[in-house]
Amino acid sequence: MPANKPLTLEELLSDISAVPSLPLLYSRLDEAINHPRSSIGDIAKVLSEDQGLTARILKLANSPLFGYFSKIDTITQAVTIIGIQQVRDLALAISVMGLFKGIPEDLITMERFWRHSIGSALAARVLATSQRESNLERFFVAGILHDIGRLVLFIRLPELCREMIEISGKEHRCLYEIERERLGFDHADVGGGLLRRWKLPLRVAEPVEFHHRSNRAEQFPRESAVLHCANLLAHALELGGSGDNSVPPLIDGSWEHLAISPFQLSHIVAQIDKQLNEITTALYGAPS
Amino acid sequence: MAIIPIDRLEAGMTLKADVCDRSGRLLLPAGAMLADKQLKIFRTWGIADADIQLGPDDVRADIAPETGTVDPKLLAEAEQAIARLFCHNNPQHPMIQELMRVCLERRLAHAG
Repeated sequence: MPANKPLTLEELLSDISAVPSLPLLYSRLDEAINHPRSSIGDIAKVLSEDQGLTARILKLANSPLFGYFSKIDTITQAVTIIGIQQVRDLALAISVMGLFKGIPEDLITMERFWRHSIGSALAARVLATSQRESNLERFFVAGILHDIGRLVLFIRLPELCREMIEISGKEHRCLYEIERERLGFDHADVGGGLLRRWKLPLRVAEPVEFHHRSNRAEQFPRESAVLHCANLLAHALELGGSGDNSVPPLIDGSWEHLAISPFQLSHIVAQIDKQLNEITTALYGAPS
Repeated sequence: MAIIPIDRLEAGMTLKADVCDRSGRLLLPAGAMLADKQLKIFRTWGIADADIQLGPDDVRADIAPETGTVDPKLLAEAEQAIARLFCHNNPQHPMIQELMRVCLERRLAHAG
């Protein structure tokens, strides 16, 4: 595909063959969880269809994170201990990363991308906790998915992306600004569009779409502000990466929106570091 | 004005502004002198910082006390890397300023 051919957001997302669909497991899990008459057994049944996921969830339930000395050996027990919502988050975190295969290694390695996504997700949850927010999963899910648009761009337009990353390194500019300049939209728009197509709730899709201009979000300005700051923290702490090597500019008013004192940051950062270590140890064996 | 984080507050300091909890309840009025008991109360109520009246000799005494013992070459390198990382941001913004400080400390802790 010629790199200079103008491509609309719709065209980019409408090519079904190149844009992955939401993992079937996740939508089935979501359905099972939201069904008023489903039991833990039903949820465990959906989960146990995926062997890799089952193994990882069991590993996590047996990790020091949950402090159970006795061995947990069935998925039903694990779901009871970890919690239904957390299991859903984990299932999403693990399965989304498997969707994008064939991204050129020089653009991004999946390991770096995963670390950035999970780092932002944990940061979003820590920030939301300090806001006394209830229902923290949506922050975590939005964090995991916030840069998914970039994966779509990497798959569909690898040449252009390589060029844009080069320009951003040379001219010290933000990658998303260059995306807007060259394409007319940025990876956040692509991600938001994809999540809408996946029929994910708007309270997740909108913050993703507006994570680089959180002041424009209409329905979920608070969620968008949390996600914007979480992404900024993940960049500042250099947790993995997603193509951009510098901290994106803080949008006026987004930090003020959260009403967190800057002096809580050292505590927040320590929490993020600790949780990231725990989750990577639990899922992959060794801390990184 | 000097907003001092809770960890660097000490008994004997004088408040410049009221300290209120999250819901706006007054804990200690402006002009009061801090004692250990009040610091404990602040922690109990989750107060992160307080506005303190500075005497003439302790201006800027609160900035980066932990980096005093670090190899200056290492410090300069870390500072440069952090500045590069934050090149799109305004370093005067209170959140960015504190985040840069935290990142610097974190980097030095990892290096050492």
